[in-house]
Amino acid sequence: MIRALFEWVDAMPGSIAWRESLNGYVYLLTLHVVSMGVVAGIISYWDMRLAGMALKWIPVSKVKSALFPWLYGGVLVNAGTGFLMLYSQPMRYYPNFWFWFKMGMLVILAANAAYFHLSIEKTVEDWEDDPVAPLKARLAGYVSLAFWVGVIVTGRMTAYSGLVPQWWLDLGLG
Amino acid sequence: MLLPFFQWMQDLAFSAYFLNSVWPTPIVQCIHLVSVAVFAGAVLLVDLRLLGTGLTMATIPQVARAAQPWLVWSFVVLVMTGIPQMASTATKQYYSPFFWWKMQAVLLGLVVTFLIRRHIASKEEGYYGPVWPKVVGVTSIALWTSVTIGARLIGLLS
Repeated sequence: MIRALFEWVDAMPGSIAWRESLNGYVYLLTLHVVSMGVVAGIISYWDMRLAGMALKWIPVSKVKSALFPWLYGGVLVNAGTGFLMLYSQPMRYYPNFWFWFKMGMLVILAANAAYFHLSIEKTVEDWEDDPVAPLKARLAGYVSLAFWVGVIVTGRMTAYSGLVPQWWLDLGLG
Repeated sequence: MLLPFFQWMQDLAFSAYFLNSVWPTPIVQCIHLVSVAVFAGAVLLVDLRLLGTGLTMATIPQVARAAQPWLVWSFVVLVMTGIPQMASTATKQYYSPFFWWKMQAVLLGLVVTFLIRRHIASKEEGYYGPVWPKVVGVTSIALWTSVTIGARLIGLLS
């Protein structure tokens, strides 16, 4: 079913146009890397504040309100260019081990952020001035830092579609 | 003038090792890219503050001090992981206009970040008036963005 969806997108005129564009991929990947720097760079300071590694003297909610508008801007460009790269070459990414690994990590990051927002952050007023946040908040920070490193690594490894476990190749997705 | 130096780097056993091995190059590239993110965060934190936004609840020197260790150490890792990538493809780099674009931007970026910006960010807000900190912040963002674009284009268009 997923393969059929990717093949359907692959045959779209818009996908073909991007794919056959001389510099489309160059623009998209370059913008994706630049915006990655903004997203991962800014979010790392938010995570480090939660983890108690940096900016410990600034209240947690102040760090968020100061940095998140820039983060959202970066995410918009980063996700937009990522989506367009997938849209332009779906059958290149479909059999790519690292692509799916990266998507899995992004799902975990989204779940971690949702859990923090819906649970731990509800009590932020009680601890936001503490230089060291409660254990649950610190854990959320560490998990986010680790998985963002994972997203960057697997994103870079997407170019090495042959350097993958044998069991993945045995699936015969390509 | 520099071509013999680049050929010498290309001929090193170290370069051959990277070219002929499977994992060292992607591992080094991954560490390099993670360091790019750490460096970008440290640069942006201070530049946004110089532009009068971001962490405005802290003074400029406070933000600069908080970012400094991440800025310095991520740059050290960038250089250490950049050297094997450059050496193993030295002759390709030499003939790539984007490599020279990147290196010139790095040189200017280092001067702006570690000399000019460091000095301006060590003074309290208003010391240099409202304009100069913003000029330095915009220049720093433009230069490091230019470095990233040049670096990416070496791989894509060279």
